[in-house]
Amino acid sequence: MTLEMYLLLSAVLFCLGLFGALSQRNLIAVLIGVELMMNAASLNFMAFNRFSVTDPSTGQVFVLIIIGLAAAEVAIFLSIILNLYRQRRTIDPESITELRY
Amino acid sequence: MDTTHLIIATTFAPFVSFVIAILFLHRSPRLAQAIVITGAAVALGCAVQLWLAGPVEPLRYLWFTSGAIELHFGFLLDGLNLMFGVVVALITLCVIIYSVGYMAHDPSKTRYFALLAFFEWAMLSFVYAVDLLQSFIFWELVGLASFFLIGFWYQKASAAEAARKAFLMTRIGDVGLLVGILVVLMTAGHFDIPGLLDPERGLVARVAPATLTAITLLIFIGIVGKSAQFPLHTWLPDAMEGPTPVSALLHSATMVAAGVFLMARLYPLFLAAETTRSIILVIATVTALLAATMAMVDRDIKKVLAYSSISQLGFMLMALAAGSLFAGVFHLITHAMFKALLFLCSGLFIHHFATNDLEQIGQAGGRSMKLTTIGLLVGGAALAGVPPLSGFFSKEEIFAALGHGSGTVFTIAALVVAFLTAYYTFRMIFLIVLPARFEPASGSDEDAHGSAEPWTMVFPVAVLTVGAAIGGLWGQQIAAALNVQAPTHTLGSMLPAIGVVLGGIGLAWVDFGRGERAGFLSRLPALQTLFSNGWYIDTLYRAVFVRLTNWLATLLHGVEVKGLDGGFDQVGFGLLRSGDGSRSLQSGWVQFYGGCVVLVIGAIALYVGMGG
Amino acid sequence: MTAETIVVGVFVIVAVAGAVLAVRSQQILHNIIGLGISLFGIAGLFLQLGSPFVAAMQVLIYIGGIVVAIVFAMMLSMAMTINPPARNLPKTIFAAIGSGLFFAGLVGLLSKTHFVTRPTAADEAWAVSRIGNALLEHYNLVFETLSVVLLLAIVGAILIARRDRTPA
Repeated sequence: MTLEMYLLLSAVLFCLGLFGALSQRNLIAVLIGVELMMNAASLNFMAFNRFSVTDPSTGQVFVLIIIGLAAAEVAIFLSIILNLYRQRRTIDPESITELRY
Repeated sequence: MDTTHLIIATTFAPFVSFVIAILFLHRSPRLAQAIVITGAAVALGCAVQLWLAGPVEPLRYLWFTSGAIELHFGFLLDGLNLMFGVVVALITLCVIIYSVGYMAHDPSKTRYFALLAFFEWAMLSFVYAVDLLQSFIFWELVGLASFFLIGFWYQKASAAEAARKAFLMTRIGDVGLLVGILVVLMTAGHFDIPGLLDPERGLVARVAPATLTAITLLIFIGIVGKSAQFPLHTWLPDAMEGPTPVSALLHSATMVAAGVFLMARLYPLFLAAETTRSIILVIATVTALLAATMAMVDRDIKKVLAYSSISQLGFMLMALAAGSLFAGVFHLITHAMFKALLFLCSGLFIHHFATNDLEQIGQAGGRSMKLTTIGLLVGGAALAGVPPLSGFFSKEEIFAALGHGSGTVFTIAALVVAFLTAYYTFRMIFLIVLPARFEPASGSDEDAHGSAEPWTMVFPVAVLTVGAAIGGLWGQQIAAALNVQAPTHTLGSMLPAIGVVLGGIGLAWVDFGRGERAGFLSRLPALQTLFSNGWYIDTLYRAVFVRLTNWLATLLHGVEVKGLDGGFDQVGFGLLRSGDGSRSLQSGWVQFYGGCVVLVIGAIALYVGMGG
Repeated sequence: MTAETIVVGVFVIVAVAGAVLAVRSQQILHNIIGLGISLFGIAGLFLQLGSPFVAAMQVLIYIGGIVVAIVFAMMLSMAMTINPPARNLPKTIFAAIGSGLFFAGLVGLLSKTHFVTRPTAADEAWAVSRIGNALLEHYNLVFETLSVVLLLAIVGAILIARRDRTPA
């Protein structure tokens, strides 16, 4: 597989995740979309790491950092979902409209 | 004091007293009165001194230049101005002193006296003006003072309306005057009066006759408005809504005389424009006859005197149009004195009996006011032209001028006017002095106001009575001041005048001195109605012009409210509505916001990726 | 068609299929499972790209930690028992258009760019010890900062999710 094909794959995964994040009516599904996007990005890094970089440990460190940050972000996201559910009994993003006109 | 100081004192002393009174003295009316009287006295004193010193070179101060045009303001001090300035100052002082008594119980005394001072400043500055634009400015200020003074009791709707009517009608004339002045500027390049009148370098020498006719005609339109000639005469009877001293000062002696004075001031121009003079003669004659008929039937003493003023002003203009400056100015001066006298006497009657009606004044015992009655008799006789009072001499000059300078038609018309003048004047006198019956109101000469004839009101009357009586003797001096020769008259030429006067008095005696006090016109009810409705001229104006203007104003107002205003409002509403519409974009949905971001970035990426 | 290609193809198919499942399902559990499948596929691709360590980390942390946490959150929020709200068609179309546009842009960029490729590094360079060295020497600051971030995330999550005690 050439570099371009890996990049194309990561583009596909990224856009699938984007679609999910924008269209789902469940906050957890939005989180899943976001995770997919991050994974597509790390796939991108790994592809470049293999094909275009002199020191391959660079890309791997990058991906490890991404995974760590994703974990932190998921923790926060999930606690927000829990709090929201406790107050509103719903996790539909369309019902959170405090910033409406 | 030298001339500059004198003339500035004359014109500005009243202005200073006006400013002091109007700014500071609203709570001290007596002090305001004193200050205004002082100002007027200073003006009179300085005016007399100037006159005694004789004519001098004009004083000019450069006001501004605009390209090749230089505008000055300043003072012209030749015989006509000096003489008329004294007359104006004298009559104003008399009226102010009289007002002390007449307005003794009025709550707004300060405003009244301040406005009289303002008027005096404007009038004197107009008289002594050296520059045509300067005189126009003060002409307008005089009209403004008239507006304020007619509408002095502005709470009364009729007074406010009369003031408005006066102002608007004179404004119509002023448009003509302004256009005339501008044509002067266009043709001569300056406004300087001595320069314009110079026989070699003035307007007469430099412009074509047609232009001169146009200029003088336009100026005459202004005179028609200001001096209440036909067809712009209907404001003057309504102006009687103002206090009687105001009527005495403005609407008999000075302001309405300003028009005639302007013609006298610019006489060389009018002398050269024969077409204009013919037109003026016709209009003045029509006015004189018209107003005299209206005076014959009116029962309000002030209205009779108002119509009389209109008629006499027409008379003066007839003389000027016939070619005699001397006759017109002579009658202007004598008329100022006896008309003011008559108004002040009527004011005394009105003040005491609280009515304007001739018959009521007579029946309530008018002739018991002795000094006033004497003044009334002298003034009335002077107006009618009874020798040897002043009016007789000035009218004689007018007849002579008409005889020389115009056709027989006009001379006969003038005699008819004199006849009618004598008739209506003595009608007024007989109704007051020899009423059908006596019904004096309860109470004696004394009333709540104190004496019926307080000295503040009687003293000016006395002064003017003397002036009206002996004014005829000043004919020579007036002629000398005007640099003309006073013509001599034989007894024979004076006979027609004396004849019509006696005839008029006789008819008045027959109608009103005895019997049932009804005029011969009461047997011609159609004529009586026509005259007492002012020949329906005012009715016509109301029906046509006033309604037309109101309709136009309503239309334009509708256009403005719905069209312009409404248009702007709709723009505003449109913006509000579009704002409302775009508010729905702020839905609060995070996914929608994110989607928008993605859309934009995607479009950019597409643009870069596909082409760019 | 070498074996390598087949293996890569399998992993690609797994990744994409999982992603499609993750975004198209109505039931939340299906979404989560789809995510897990996709992550497995991506881990396989990491392996293929020469880093078994990162593949292992992916499986351990991502699938073993994050997906499990998501499942816990789903259960705590009763997302399974709630009736899933109906699909909002305009929103879906809008999202599809947005992501489609973005994808077209990315593809265009991809095709326009000339990527510089280098030959693969030697095997020694791929050793795990190299990763460790890099983390502790070169990328030390990032490593330490990441730990601070994780600490903050833990504290923040606890704060947000705790039950407020109303004053007695």
